[in-house]
Parts: sequence; C-alpha cells; structure tokens
Amino acid sequence: MAFDLNSLDAPFIALAGFDWGADADFFKSIDAAAVAAHGDASLRGELEKRFGALLAGSTSRATKEYVCRKLAMIGTAVSVPALAALLTDADNSHMARFALERIDLPEAAAALRKALGVVEGSLKIGMISSLASRGDLQSVAAISNLLGGDATIAAAAAAALGTLSTPEAAAALAAAKPAGDMAAAVVDARLACAEAFLAKGDRKAAKAIYSSISASIGDAPKTHRERAVRVAAKRGLLAAAE
Amino acid sequence: MAAPYVITSKALGNATTPPASDRIVIGGIGIGNMGSGDQGAFLGRSDVQYVAVCDVRRNWRDDGKGRVDGKYGNKDCAAYVDFRELLARDDIDAVHIATPDHWHAIMTIAACRAGKDVYLQKPETLTLREGPLMIAAARRYGRVVSGGSQRVLEDYRDIVNPSWSGEIGTLKAVDISVGGPSMPCYLPAVATPPDIDWDLWLGPAPWEPYNPGRCDGNFGTGGGSWRSYLDYSGGSLTDWGAHHFGGAIFAADLRELQPASVAFHPASGGAGPYVSLTYPNGVAVHHNRPQPLRPERPSVAHGGDIQVHADGTPREGKPVPVYKGEGGIYGDFIDCVKTRAKPFRDIELAVNTMTGPHMIAIAYRLERSLTWDRSAQRFTGDDEANRLLDRARREPWIL
Repeated sequence: MAFDLNSLDAPFIALAGFDWGADADFFKSIDAAAVAAHGDASLRGELEKRFGALLAGSTSRATKEYVCRKLAMIGTAVSVPALAALLTDADNSHMARFALERIDLPEAAAALRKALGVVEGSLKIGMISSLASRGDLQSVAAISNLLGGDATIAAAAAAALGTLSTPEAAAALAAAKPAGDMAAAVVDARLACAEAFLAKGDRKAAKAIYSSISASIGDAPKTHRERAVRVAAKRGLLAAAE
Repeated sequence: MAAPYVITSKALGNATTPPASDRIVIGGIGIGNMGSGDQGAFLGRSDVQYVAVCDVRRNWRDDGKGRVDGKYGNKDCAAYVDFRELLARDDIDAVHIATPDHWHAIMTIAACRAGKDVYLQKPETLTLREGPLMIAAARRYGRVVSGGSQRVLEDYRDIVNPSWSGEIGTLKAVDISVGGPSMPCYLPAVATPPDIDWDLWLGPAPWEPYNPGRCDGNFGTGGGSWRSYLDYSGGSLTDWGAHHFGGAIFAADLRELQPASVAFHPASGGAGPYVSLTYPNGVAVHHNRPQPLRPERPSVAHGGDIQVHADGTPREGKPVPVYKGEGGIYGDFIDCVKTRAKPFRDIELAVNTMTGPHMIAIAYRLERSLTWDRSAQRFTGDDEANRLLDRARREPWIL
C-alpha cells in the first residue's frame, strides 16, 4: 500500500520549527516513512526533497541533526549537495559527515574529498576519518600529505592510512617522521597495514614492515607501549614466516 | 646531603600482601555507579595497587580518589579528567573502564595501544563496527581484554548446568525476555553545571545540549538516563541484555559463533513484534517471543527471564568453564593479566555475544529480517541495514 504523503505535511511543518525540548511525537510519522521508503524510490525521493529543504533553510541545529540521521539511512546522490554544504559548518559538520559517509556513491566521496582540502582542525580529522571509513582509496595521496603537518591531524591521517592499507599508504607511513603522540599512531597504522598484507597473502610486504618496527623498538623496550609494539612485531614476523 | 633511600613495608609486602613489584598497578576510567563497584573489587585485592581514577564528573572523581586514599591511608591516588593522561602513565599495567557505552571502543583501543590490559564493563560494544576493531587492537598488542558481565557465569546456573551436562539433550532454541532498544533523546538544553566536562562526556557522540537526564547514570532505560538513549547505549536490550544474552548464549555454547540471520516478526494478535536470531548450527534465540507462540519442547530449563528448549535426548556433556584465579570475574581478569591467558569473557567472546542484540536492534528499527555475513561483518543485500553498523562520531574522536 502506498504511503500517504499528505500525512507527512504536519510532521514536516513541526520538524521545521523543532528544537530540543519541544514535543517530538511527530517524529514517529517521519521515522515510519523513512522505514517505508525501503524499496520505494518515489517515497524516498519525496523525503529527500523535504529533508534537503530543511537542511538548506534557517532551521535549528536540532532539526538539522535529525535530518542528517534520516539521510544517513536513506540518502542518495540527491541529498549530497545539501549535506556537503554543512561540512564546513563547525556545528553541523559531524552529522552531515555521518550521512555522507554512508551514501555509497561517488558524489558523496567527492564531497568529502573536497571538504578535506578546505576545512581545518578537528573538522579535517572528521573528513579524514570518514574517507577512511568509506575505504576511499582515491584519498590516499591527499591524506598522506597530511602526515607532515599538525601532529593531531597527522595522527588521524596515519590511522586512516592504516585503515586503507594500500601499498602507497604503507609507503607514506614508512617515510613519515613521527614525533610524540604521532609516533604511536604511525606504528599502529603500519601494523594494521602489515596485517592487511598478511591477510592478502603478501608476506614479503608484511615482513618488511614488521622487521622495520622490530628494529626500531630493539630488544630492550622500556615502556608498556614499546613492549606491546615489540610483541606485535615479533608475532607478525612469526606469522609472516609461516 | 642525599636523603636516605627508604623502602617501606608496604613496598616489600608481607604474608598477605605481595611486594609492590608483584602487584598489578591499576587505574579506573569512569568511576560512577558501575565503575565504583569495579573499583571496590580491585581495591580489595592484595595483588592490586590502585593508583589513579579518571572521570569527567568532579564529584565521582573526588569520591573515587577518596576511596583509594582511604584504603591506603595516603593521598597518592591521582585523579584525571581526561583518560588520555591516565593512559600515558607508564607505571599503570591495567585499566578498568565503566564509562557510558559510547566511549568503550575508543578507550579500549587506546588502552591496548598504550600496552595496558583492560577490564571493560558490559555491554562492551555500542555498535557492530566497533567489535572487530577492539578485537584487532587486543590481539595486535597481545593484551588481556576482559568483558565485564559478572552474571554470565554466576546467575544462570539453572540453564547452564543442564545444558552443558547434556542431561536435557541437544539445545534447539532459547527464549529471552528483556527490554527493547534505546531511543532518541530530545531533552531540552539546561545550563551546564561546573562539575562536569560536558564536551568530554559527549566525546564521540553527536553534540547535544547538556541535560541531567541525558547523562544520569541510573539503571533505568525508560528515559532520564544515558542508558535510555541511542547515542550512548543500546537500551535495555544491550544493558540487561548483555547479561541475559550472555547467559543464554553461554548456556547454549554459542559464544564462538555469531548469528547467521535475524528474523523480524510483526505485531500480531495483540502481541507486540518480536525478533529471532538463528545461529549457523541451527539454534534459534528469540527476543520477547509471545508466550503462546512457544512450541512445546520435551525439555525446558528456566533461568529467570531465559528459557532453553532442548530435544530431551541426553547426550554426552562437557565441564562448564570456570574463572581462573580467585575472586570471581575480577580475579579471573587479574589472574590472566599475570599469566597472559584468555579471560572467561575474552573480548572476542563478548563481541560475538553482543552481535546478537545489536542485530536485533537493527531488525526492530528497520522492521525487516536480515542476513549476516560474519566474514565481511556486513548484512547481505541490505544497504540501509549496513548504514546502521555504526553510530555518528563527532570529531576529533575517531575509531
């Protein structure tokens, strides 16, 4: 049975004026419509149109947050421009990213990549993380370039490269000159790359990473972290030799 | 003139207290309701030296430090707002974590990277995506990571013993009665009090305004507590559910498995909807299946809100696993820290267990049945379900 779109008019009016603490009962109708949109392209399109208008309008942070949650579940390329416009907004960036991260289409990846080159600070860490979560191999070069900058961003970049685990990512990590907290992030990412290589059967590449890390730690680790890294490298070497 | 080097009697140990070099040095992160209980258990052990607490709430932090200082008769316990400072201390061997659930994965992974062992309150995961990453971190660094449901082994003997002994035969189905998933939170903004670091309380969760009902640590799940809300908890389904599903899955010896599918049954005949998991070996685990629908089985065992249904043909049994060391699940963890053995609720077993309730929550939310591909850690052929594998994460907190 087709969903009654007219039944959504009043809830969407309420959503446009919503803020935290207001009556939220009307959300149930919109939630139900989002579930009913599964396999119903027409309903999904109508919802995306209405959601997009709310994101573009002067609605509250609470409204935009709710809309992003719905688009995280049902959003398509249609919603990408409205979501992308929020990526540079400090208040709403993380929720827009949440939705875009889940839209498995090139338009969404392109929006995140574009924002990566624009935003700074924590927002850049968000973009790095979302691109890695998507497994976006096209962003390896851009993320690698961040290894030499701000230490916090560089640590996030290292983690992302570990998630992506391509040979290029591993090479960038091997060439990094980490300091302080970033050193732990780089080592962790390199171990992740080695595990990925092992899983793919590339023992030679894995062994090279484990050997390099093992040599850097030495046989007399001084801290808990160094001992744990040594354990990881030694175990990895054994696995790579099997 | 140099001061004389003094070795205290506490450092040397005595007949009941091991020397300092043999004690496990512990810190606690999240030291409120459950955290204070965990702290008490560790603090009461002579083979543990408790040195630090961390909490974003000043009163809990102060109380936690006070309990440690009171125990040792000094003022030495350090108190931190930011868990990263506690993890940076190299003298700490292990941590216990009892924060709201949205912090569990990030803190556990960070602790493993820092070379710490971890005792982690249940439910160990908030999302399906987190589990494999936590296991990977534990295995990568050779860490002991124990989940924290003390009830799994201790509270469900009525179903565990006859199931493991084989006396009721081969187990076919389990019914679990426990509350449902968490809900969205739309509470109004209230002025943030000075004794909480609200930004750090939220951490990776989406930004929302402070409201005491959003972050209250009470055990309710019907509103007015963080356990009620989607961004911080899986609701009763994963909170008490961690115990009930843990006990049921342990009784059914399913801890090494993850469900193969989840079936959504719409409301019917005045009864609400319910959901059924099916494991690869054919065992079904039902959540809140209406009583009249339960088929008669030759053999049924009851463990509180759990019933197990078996075929009634006795089979060869096997011994029920036990905790290592002394002192229940806490002793199990400490013993494993010393011996490097796997604890009773090893993180991988905990993650497997919690996969069931997380799948159930997604099936309720989407109102449809789903198939789970364990090797890919994804639902098969359902893009919207896969979009629910993780929650929103606010920068700079990343997995």
